[in-house]
Amino acid sequence: MDLTPESNQDDEAVGDLSFDPKGALDAGDGAVLTRLARAVEAVDPVPDDLVERSLFAITLAGLEADLMEAVYLDTPLAGVRGAAAAARADDTAPAEAKTITFTHDSLTVMISLSPAAGGRVRIDGWAAPAAGLDVELHRPGVDVVTVASDEDGRFAFDSVERGRASLVVRRTDGGGGAVSTPVIEL
Amino acid sequence: MTGSREALPDVDGSGLTLGDRAAIALTEYREGNRQALGELVREATPLLWHTVRAQGVDQDAAEDVVQSTWVALVRHAETIAEPKAVLKWLLVTAKRAAWESVRKHRDDEKRRTELPDDSPEHPMALPAKDPLPDAEVLRDERDRILWMSLQKLPGRCQELLRLVSLADRPDYRHISAAIGMPMGSIGSTRGRCLAKLRTILDEQGDFSWI
Repeated sequence: MDLTPESNQDDEAVGDLSFDPKGALDAGDGAVLTRLARAVEAVDPVPDDLVERSLFAITLAGLEADLMEAVYLDTPLAGVRGAAAAARADDTAPAEAKTITFTHDSLTVMISLSPAAGGRVRIDGWAAPAAGLDVELHRPGVDVVTVASDEDGRFAFDSVERGRASLVVRRTDGGGGAVSTPVIEL
Repeated sequence: MTGSREALPDVDGSGLTLGDRAAIALTEYREGNRQALGELVREATPLLWHTVRAQGVDQDAAEDVVQSTWVALVRHAETIAEPKAVLKWLLVTAKRAAWESVRKHRDDEKRRTELPDDSPEHPMALPAKDPLPDAEVLRDERDRILWMSLQKLPGRCQELLRLVSLADRPDYRHISAAIGMPMGSIGSTRGRCLAKLRTILDEQGDFSWI
């Protein structure tokens, strides 16, 4: 496959340059790549807590729950996490409820996050198709909290400390496998 | 622990590359050290992030793809045939998941635009994609020249060089392979993309890049 776009002819014309295009990396290459790495990080920085969320996701991988996928179509401007972070940064602002939808082959779970007293978060959830579900709230370094949904698939966690969290959803009748949301920032 | 090391890269005192460290981390994880992946996650997440972003995945979705790539590593830890190639495995897994995410997103948008109320009288605004990252944040003139020069390369060259810059130089070969751009002859460690970039940079004027 030819990866050079327009002309290859100039490959031959580089003889008078200070480096050998076919050769090993030289000091100039190293310096260019180092500078490029800084530019890449400056232009599109890795989100602050992505590493921490990934590490927590790894510890949950042993739960053998299929990962659900978050749907972001309804968050056109500020991302869910961005909005949550903004709300955290300014607790005096009247934070709006945020909704996130998670899907998996067999199940859709929608959660709504709203401020609770003491800077905490209330989670209201709804799962479809409606079924009796056990919903586990996993957070780093904290015991798992489990609530049962009603027969319409509704569930709630009244007051949750902010931070990284993942929900694991199991049908109470044991049907289907467990599914888990990605680790999100409450 | 010594026995399993035999399969790992033989280093000659020049230090381990990210690819080597990834291989060691996976091997130690397989041997029961559950903490072994921590440092690898810290180190390689930027590489995965930029791999995923290069496929046109927006920020929120990219965060989930990176997470799910790490989860996939843990779930497949016992079955990855070649620990030595785990860095490549991570990049390829992230890339495939990114493509899948882009495909689903497109399908969803298509479905939405086909809704009956999406008529000329009631145009439906699709959510704006994240604006493309731009070079405004680059204050240093040489940084800007470098960034502009990079944009003149074919897209896949840009992707390759962005990733290579974040890894250790000897990982160039693994990363090229993961991107589907093998480097060709053994003698050429620089590769065409970097040579091309250096040529463009030289045309920009007499800057010292060292």
